Formats: sequence, structure tokens, C-alpha cells
Amino acid sequence: MTTLDAGRAATRPPRGAPTRPGPTFPRVLAAEWTKLTSVPSNPWLALGTVVVTAGTAYGLGLFVRTGDGRSGSWVVVSGYVVAQLGFLVLGAVVGTAEHTTGTARTTFTAVPRRLPVLGAQAVVVAVAAAVTAVVALGASYLATTGPRAGEAPAVDLAVPGTARALAGFVVLAVAVALLGLALGMLLRRPADAIVTGLVLVFLADFVLAANPGAATDTIRAALPSAGARLLQDDAALAALDTATHGPQLGPWGGGAVIGAWVVVAFCAAGYRLGRHDVR
Amino acid sequence: MSATTTPRGVRTTAGARTGGPTFGRVVASEWTKLTSLRSPWWTGLVTVVAAGALAFMFATASSVDPGFEPTRDLATGLMLAQVGPLVLGVLLGAGEFRTGAARTTFTLVPRRWPVLAAQTVVVAGFALGLAVLTVAATVVGVLPSAVSRDLPLRLTVGDTPGILAGMVLLVVGVTLVGYALGTLLRRTVPALVTALGVVLVLPIVLAMAGDPGGGTMGAAPPHSVTALGTIGAFTPGTAGQLLTTPASYGPMPGMPDVGPVGGGLVLGAWIVLLLTVAAVRLRTRDVR
Amino acid sequence: MIEVEALTKRYGSTTAVDGLTFTARPGTVTGFLGPNGAGKSTTMRVVVGLERATAGTTRVDGRRYADLPAPLHAVGVMLDARSVHPGRTASKHLLAMAQTHGIGKARVREVIAQTGLEPVAHRRAGTFSLGMGQRLGIAGALLGDPQTLVLDEPVNGLDPDGVLWVRRLVRELAAEGRTVLLSSHLMHELALCADRVVIIGRGRLLADATVQDIVERSERAGAVRVRTTDPEPLARELLALGAQVVPQEGGVLQVRGTSVDEVGTAARRCGATVLELAAESGTLEEAYLQLTGDAVEYRTADTRGGAR
Repeated sequence: MTTLDAGRAATRPPRGAPTRPGPTFPRVLAAEWTKLTSVPSNPWLALGTVVVTAGTAYGLGLFVRTGDGRSGSWVVVSGYVVAQLGFLVLGAVVGTAEHTTGTARTTFTAVPRRLPVLGAQAVVVAVAAAVTAVVALGASYLATTGPRAGEAPAVDLAVPGTARALAGFVVLAVAVALLGLALGMLLRRPADAIVTGLVLVFLADFVLAANPGAATDTIRAALPSAGARLLQDDAALAALDTATHGPQLGPWGGGAVIGAWVVVAFCAAGYRLGRHDVR
Repeated sequence: MSATTTPRGVRTTAGARTGGPTFGRVVASEWTKLTSLRSPWWTGLVTVVAAGALAFMFATASSVDPGFEPTRDLATGLMLAQVGPLVLGVLLGAGEFRTGAARTTFTLVPRRWPVLAAQTVVVAGFALGLAVLTVAATVVGVLPSAVSRDLPLRLTVGDTPGILAGMVLLVVGVTLVGYALGTLLRRTVPALVTALGVVLVLPIVLAMAGDPGGGTMGAAPPHSVTALGTIGAFTPGTAGQLLTTPASYGPMPGMPDVGPVGGGLVLGAWIVLLLTVAAVRLRTRDVR
Repeated sequence: MIEVEALTKRYGSTTAVDGLTFTARPGTVTGFLGPNGAGKSTTMRVVVGLERATAGTTRVDGRRYADLPAPLHAVGVMLDARSVHPGRTASKHLLAMAQTHGIGKARVREVIAQTGLEPVAHRRAGTFSLGMGQRLGIAGALLGDPQTLVLDEPVNGLDPDGVLWVRRLVRELAAEGRTVLLSSHLMHELALCADRVVIIGRGRLLADATVQDIVERSERAGAVRVRTTDPEPLARELLALGAQVVPQEGGVLQVRGTSVDEVGTAARRCGATVLELAAESGTLEEAYLQLTGDAVEYRTADTRGGAR
């Protein structure tokens, strides 16, 4: 190779590159969306979540009678108890996939500043979770209306808090998925992220509920599971507030608690990503 | 590599013809494999500490009640602490295939089923040790509350031996369910999601269905066996819970009166079923 | 001894191995060559019972692998350096293998020393470099002091020291009367350590012969190469002798059908100045490339269009 050739290779722009080369945020976002949707297990997970949510809502709806003190919105969002596992896993899988598959080496040599990838993954997971949640909610509604409703109360927007409860389903699903993502990025192993997430979001609360008291109810109000208040309409919230020995949070308080957990988890994940080695 | 490691002749010393993989040898090998990893020890430690801490917390909270009975709070925390053994089982079962170590294992033991059997024995053995320590931790956990109320902690009277035995069997059983799912599904996330969903989440969903009146369990109408209760009694998670309920309590709302022994049998049947399917898959399919 | 007879393996609609038949005999190092995706690893996996053949049989010492009473003593297998749990140390991994056959710790230590793993024996396998992982795989294959060895790309990732070590090791094992089947992409290396070579392409057998026989099949073998200042007069002179002449760049002629001496005297007759004159010998690489030319599964585009 002559010196003339060497010079020519250096000054010519690289093949296939756009006018302004480099990893800008929209490009990283597009890449992350492609990565999420190109692995077959992710769409299947979303589909499975929708089906199981609707099925659970249908099943639970069969056992509700109108006089039971449960409103129509409870029936429709009742599938959440199982759906939360699906949303959590969706986030955790995206967060850990880089490290379990070794893709991290490719990703972080392409985007060495690293944090844009975390941000892009958050956006992508939030969108995917929101879409899945809306579809799941719609499917649950279809599964519990009309002839399938049995004797359960129907969803009535006039009941105070119903609209908020339905919207809360989607908001909570996104929050749980983001928590899963942050835990996945932080802990880097899927089993650790999923178990930690499930304990924080659901199991701890359930076990603590067996022993009501000031201490346990306060702990429950501080866990991400407090976010479940977003799913409840006014009547259910009032009942919850009178029964609890801990702080009376209300839906916005519950939302703030889980929001805080998500933010803290992301900060920790971002710190680890920025400072620690990528293996 | 230095020049000192020139190839010596491959002469045998202590390793001369020793015969093939007998079952005892495969068990020894699997025990070495399990104990050489770090995660079983960490998971075990977390489980023991969590079970003890939860027992302590529940006992302290209920010690203010007039009818406080310390042995009632031994098993409450186990519903959460059982996550540890369950996940441990899944990781051990799926770990072989996820890491590719299965390729080595099944060239050593090409008939394959002895490996499954040996791993089951070894996992059960480890889980048994873990279970005993966990139960001991719960006893230690309720001790301070019992002492503060001047109540003697009688472990050999009434329902308590049954509860303690049930707790040990629950930990072992749950580990084996996780192991069976892990070795059947071969990938961590699907096996973990299935295990957590079926063993932990499903009983809660069924309980919600049986109790739509909102939150208070056991506002008791006369006991009748419902379809839902029957289905529930046959799921592995609920069966596991039944193992730790005192025998004298009688049936849970809506469930047939199977009692802890019945719960144990159902759990055992699930383990056998899952392991059989895993064995069939192992025999007839390739190991990639 | 490894006998493969009419082996066929299909995955769904893809045929990975198609009617392959060959034998790897004791006392020889049999090289297993082929393009990527030709079916070499698949064949080896079927031989050791990890995968089931769709048709045909594979036998080790006359029996199916699964029927061997002590597989570790019969066949030492190294398929993939990633067949180790990354959380386990090297010595524990080997110890667990040894325990399945009741082999003692002394043998484990011996094998660790033999493969140069002593410095890293107590480190977790997940921290190993490529070369160390390869050595661990080879250590596992040697553990049972087996009569047959099946090695899939054993020198992959080894430093030159290590490559030399493996070459000596397999030659010594074969000299002791053992059967060695090893696959490789390093032609020059394989030519030095293998006695016979089995070449497959697209799952089918392309050649099964000694290294010498295959090398002689390459086109260059038997030709004479002459570099001269006056290629045209010399070419005319050689053609008149009845030789086939292929002119190349830089005044080089490739001549077939004459000996080196005849080319030399022909040059003298026509007054051409000879700068280089020698008999060509083929290489295994050339023979292989010619044989497998059509059978390559994954072709690269001509690089000149890309990188200039």
C-alpha cells in the first residue's frame, strides 16, 4: 500500500455513514427498539401477559357478586395481580440481556458514554409496557362485560375513581416494568432482578398483610407495592385507609412511593453502568 | 506457557482403569458440583436469616394479643422465605444447560437418567440441611416473644411437631419443584417465571377468587367445599401451604379436608410428575 | 477406533450431515477438515452421544457410545471450551468429572500439571481467557487416560507454545496406539500433525486420504516455476517441447509436463536469463480450498470493493 493510498483512506468519509456520524440519542433509541422487538421471546412475553391478565380477570369476575363491596373497576383490573410478574420480567429481561448474552460488549463500544443506552432502554420499556397494559386492560374489559360478566358489577365511570383506577393500571404497569429494568441493569442477573422485584412489588406486602399493625403497615406503605393504590377507586381506598395502621397514602402518595423507588433504582443502575467495568 | 510443561507421557498413576460411572460415583460428582458454586450458600444464608427475622417480627407483633400462641407464628414468614429455596432449585436445574456444562456431564454419563436422579438426591440433601437450619431459625425467632410473655415454647406437644416437620418438607419440596422446572425448561427466565407464578402467585389469585368480599380471610360461613377450593388444594403452592397448617385446624375455607398430609402428597406428586417429564425430555432429545 | 457409517443428521429442513462414512483408526491422527457449517461439530456430537443420528450409525471401539461401560476411559472429549460452569473453579470442575468414574485426586493434579493450568487451577472458569479455557477442555479430555480422543478445534486461541504442545501431544498419543480425531482450521498445523485427513463439505465426504495424497492433488503440485527476464521466448521454447505453460505476473511461468532440468536447459537454448527455478509443491491449504471451493456455505464478498 502506497502512502497515497493511506492518505486517501483517512480523508474519505466512512462507507455507509450518515452526514453527521455518531451515536445520537434518537439513533440509540431506534437501536434499542429494534433490539427489543427482534428477540421473539419479548413479543411472546407481552402476548402472554395480555392473555393471562384477561383470563385472570375473567376467572375472578366469575366469583364476584354485586353486593360484595367490589366495584366494576376492581373486576377489570383484577388481572393485575398476575400481570405484574409479566411487566416486571419484561423490564428485567431487557435490563439483563446485555450482560447475559455478552451483547454489552457490542453495545458499549458503539455508545461509550453508556448512559444514553440506559435512557433509551427506559423509554423503550415504558412504551412497550404501556402498549401491553392498554391491550391487556382492553382484553380484560372484553372478558368481563356482557354475557361473560355473570353477576359482577359493570364498569361504571360514574363511580368516583373508576377512570383513575383504569388509568392507574397502565401507569402502574409502566412503573413496575421500569423498576424491573433498573434492577436488571443494576444486578445484571435475571434471577436476582426478578426475585428482588417480585418481593418488593408484591410478596413482601402480601406476607406483611397477614399481621396488621403499626410497624408492618408503615413498612408496607414504604415499599413499591404501595403503588397498587393507583388501581383502586375511591370506595376501596376509603376502606383501605380506615383499615390501615400506617400512613394513609391515597393513590397519589402510593404513586409517589413507587416513583421514588424507580428513580433511586435508576440512579443506582446509572452509577454502576458509568463506573463499573462491562464484562 | 513455559517450556517446562513439555508433554510427558500420558501414563496412568492413581487413575488407572477404575470402571465406569456407577450411581454412587455420579452422586459424589453432583455433590461436588453443587457445593463448588457460591449461589447455593448465599441463597441458603439469606433464606435462614429471612425466615428467622420474619418469625421474630410476626411473633413480636402478635405478642400483644391476649390469645398469643408462639407456635402459630413459626410458619408465617416461611411463605416469603420459601422464595429462596425455590429460586435455588430453578438455578441448579437450569444452570447445567444454560452454561453448557451439560455437554460435559452427558458425555461422561451417556445414559443420562443417572444424572437426573443423582442431582435430585443431591438437591434434596442440600435442601434438607437448609430446611433444618431454616426451621431452627424460626424457632429462635419466636423465642424472645414467648419469653416476654412468659409462655413456654413447647415444641413436642400438640400440633407443633407436625408443623415443624411440615416446614422442613415444604422447604425441601419447594426446592425440588424449582429444580424439576429448571431441568425441564432449561432456561432460567421461563423456569423462574413459571415457578414463581405457579407456586407463589397462583395461590394468592385463588384466594382472592374465593374471597371476593375484600381482604378479610376466614369470615366463616359453614364449611362447604367449592370447586375453586378443590382446584386450589391440588396446586403445588397451596399444597405446600397446607403442609404447614396445624392438623387440628380443620379444612381451609372452601377446600376439601386433606390436611397437611394430603398437602404433602399433592406436592410430592407434582415433583414426581415434573421430574418424569424432564426425564423423558432428557432421554429423547438432543443436548445442545 | 471411531467408525462412522452413512451418518445423516437433519434439523428440521436443514441437513447438517449427509451420508457420511469414514473410519478413524488406532495409532493415527485423523484430521477433520471442512468449511464453517460443514457438519464437523455435528458429527462429533453424534459420535459422543449428545445428539441422535437421523440415520446411519457411529461406533466407538465397535459399540455405541451409550453402551460403553466407562466412557471417560474410552473416549476423551473436548467439544467446546464453554462446556464449563463459569462459577466453578478449574480443579473442582475436573474433580467432579473424575468422581463420576471413581478417579482419584492424584490424577486430577497430574492432568492440571500436564496442561499447564497450575497457576489458575483455583480460579473460577468464568474468568479464564480463551487459551486457558481450551487447556481446561483438553485437561478434561485427558483425565480418563482414554484410548480415543475426539477434539474439536483444540488449538483455537492457544499461543504458539501451546500450539506446539498440542501437536506433540497428539502425535505422542497416536504413537502409543490411541485413536485421535481432531478438527481444525489451521491447515499448516494440521499438515504437520495429522496422518490422514477427512474433508467434508455441506455434510458430505469430499476426501478421505493421507495428507500426502491430498497435497498432491492440489493444482500446483507437479508444476515447475521459473522466473525469467524473457518470459516470451522461453514460453515458446517450452511449448515446442510439448509442455503446458501458464504465464503469471512478474515474468513467472508455471510449467507442467517437464522436469526442472528440462526447463533449465530450454532457457539456456533460447538465451533467457533464469532468476528463479524450482519445482512447486502443493500445500494442504491449496488442496483443501480447491476441493471445497463449491462446498463453502458462507462466502465473503470480494474485499477489494470494501476496504480500499
